[in-house]
Amino acid sequence: MRDVAYIALTVAFFALMIAYVRGCERLGREATGEEERP
Amino acid sequence: MTANGWLQILFYSALLLALTKPLGVYMVRVYDGSLRWLAPVERVIYRACGVDPEEDQHWTRYAGGLLLFSVVSMLVTYVALRLQAHLPLNPAGLPAVADRQAFETAASFTTNTNWQSYSGEVTMSYLSQMMQLAFHNFTSAASGMAAAVALARGIARRSGGRLGNFWVDLVRGTLYVLLPLAFVLALILVQQGVIQNFAQYVTATTVEGAKQVLAMGPAASQIAIKQLGTNGGGFFNVNSAHPFENATAISNFLEMFALLVIPAGLVYTFGRMVKNQKHGWALWAAMFVVFFGGVTTAYWAEARGNPIHAARGVDIVASADNPGGNMEGKEVRFGIANSVLWATATTDASNGSVNAMHDSFTPIGGMVPLVNIQLGEEIFGGVGSGLYGMIMMAVLTVFIAGLMVGRTPEYLGKKIQSREIRMVMLYVLIFPAVILIFTALSAVLPAGLAGRNNAGPHGLSEILYAFTSVTGNNGSAFAGLTGSTDYYNTLLGLGTLLGRFAMMVPMLALGGFLAERKIAPESAGTFPVTTPLFVILLVSVILIVGALTFFPALSLGPLVEHLLMGAGKLF
Repeated sequence: MRDVAYIALTVAFFALMIAYVRGCERLGREATGEEERP
Repeated sequence: MTANGWLQILFYSALLLALTKPLGVYMVRVYDGSLRWLAPVERVIYRACGVDPEEDQHWTRYAGGLLLFSVVSMLVTYVALRLQAHLPLNPAGLPAVADRQAFETAASFTTNTNWQSYSGEVTMSYLSQMMQLAFHNFTSAASGMAAAVALARGIARRSGGRLGNFWVDLVRGTLYVLLPLAFVLALILVQQGVIQNFAQYVTATTVEGAKQVLAMGPAASQIAIKQLGTNGGGFFNVNSAHPFENATAISNFLEMFALLVIPAGLVYTFGRMVKNQKHGWALWAAMFVVFFGGVTTAYWAEARGNPIHAARGVDIVASADNPGGNMEGKEVRFGIANSVLWATATTDASNGSVNAMHDSFTPIGGMVPLVNIQLGEEIFGGVGSGLYGMIMMAVLTVFIAGLMVGRTPEYLGKKIQSREIRMVMLYVLIFPAVILIFTALSAVLPAGLAGRNNAGPHGLSEILYAFTSVTGNNGSAFAGLTGSTDYYNTLLGLGTLLGRFAMMVPMLALGGFLAERKIAPESAGTFPVTTPLFVILLVSVILIVGALTFFPALSLGPLVEHLLMGAGKLF
């Protein structure tokens, strides 16, 4: 049972990191929009 | 402090300087693809793994590859450690690694941390050491180098956010840099007396007639890569204070030198890649200034010794037959100079292996390794991670300089604007946030407090050091904390993962954003990044950011302990 919990924790962490990649990409796009505004 | 000690430190520094350029040039050729002597091996690996080596990956895909590789290899290691008892090459009949320790160990080795809450010789089978831990020693180091090279490409070119190919960088870094160097170093270590065998553990009779079990195993091959890859940890529990892991003065020097040689070479590689070698040397100079300052401070503190020892009649004055100073927790074969040099190098890099126990250093001597990690391990740093950490600080430095003179900051021809600084700030803030939040939790929760071996400020230092070490992917321990509990194994494992990947992602994003920007020629308003002024500003930014972030915690730990030591109080 604890093995499953640790494996799930690992998978959840890396899934969060994938979401983090997307978040950073979005943050970059938003900032580019701000820079381009007059 | 002795002339002999200083000579060794200066020789170490001179050799580091001498090898920076040749190794740096070699690595340029590795990562630009011009070195092809292992091309057939590469082709087999790419074909077997279904990798298209010609693909130039967008930074999101590059980061995705790195994360995918890490999660799969971490899970494989977790399962292998749990099944260790049923796998071959286990002559001591060691049982499965406990689930909490398997999680922490898998996370720790995947992230180039190598924090160990166990004694290697009584926990890990030969197969676990060789197929799991040594595998990560190579690949986690190669991943760090790949990430640094990707950032350098982002700075050097305009490619619509494309940073190269993670799989190719991973394979080439392993095949061309780490494997050959580790092979040569392992052979030299064996020649020096470091053990390399698959023998059963030996039961010896001591001089007093007692029985003692001597652990055996393939140590030299593991030690070579754990030093070169700035992975750290130890084949044996006491790391390189063990004669089978560190047999002679020459093996000690080589193991210590292997800590920083690739990170130093990578700085030169970076200068070549961005076509500004002077800037590469400016970064090298900034690193060396902080490195030398750390060695000097630790050497002074340890050679000065502990006044409480002196008050109780211990001779702490160096003489022909007495090293003097504070020799508690140090290997008498290596003495103070080699202990502080190792302690400084191992925490400037993200290595973490030790040849002396940092917990036994004087408060100021022990604070040096702690501060080195807290500065972000950018002082040559971990292989790859040190370089990209330093580049993040360089971007922050030119941003601050740009604010001072009221111009849009530029770094090596790329404009630094809102989105770049957002990524730098994420990188800068995540590190202390993880350390300080986890330390604060552990300083109040019963499960956290139970792990301390000492009360008062020294106990806080133990907790602070542990979370600093894992989040900085260092892996060295203050040796006082009992980390082998559900609470610490899980939280420290999470700390290693956050300290690696939550910082790598914004760094790769920065590389991608910079790769989208056009390269502007230098103008009169460009802040020069090759001058002594830049070096001074960069070192100041590193020290100020580190000091502002961690000074309150340090005040409650080693600083107050140092003041109390003067008043005769020990913890």
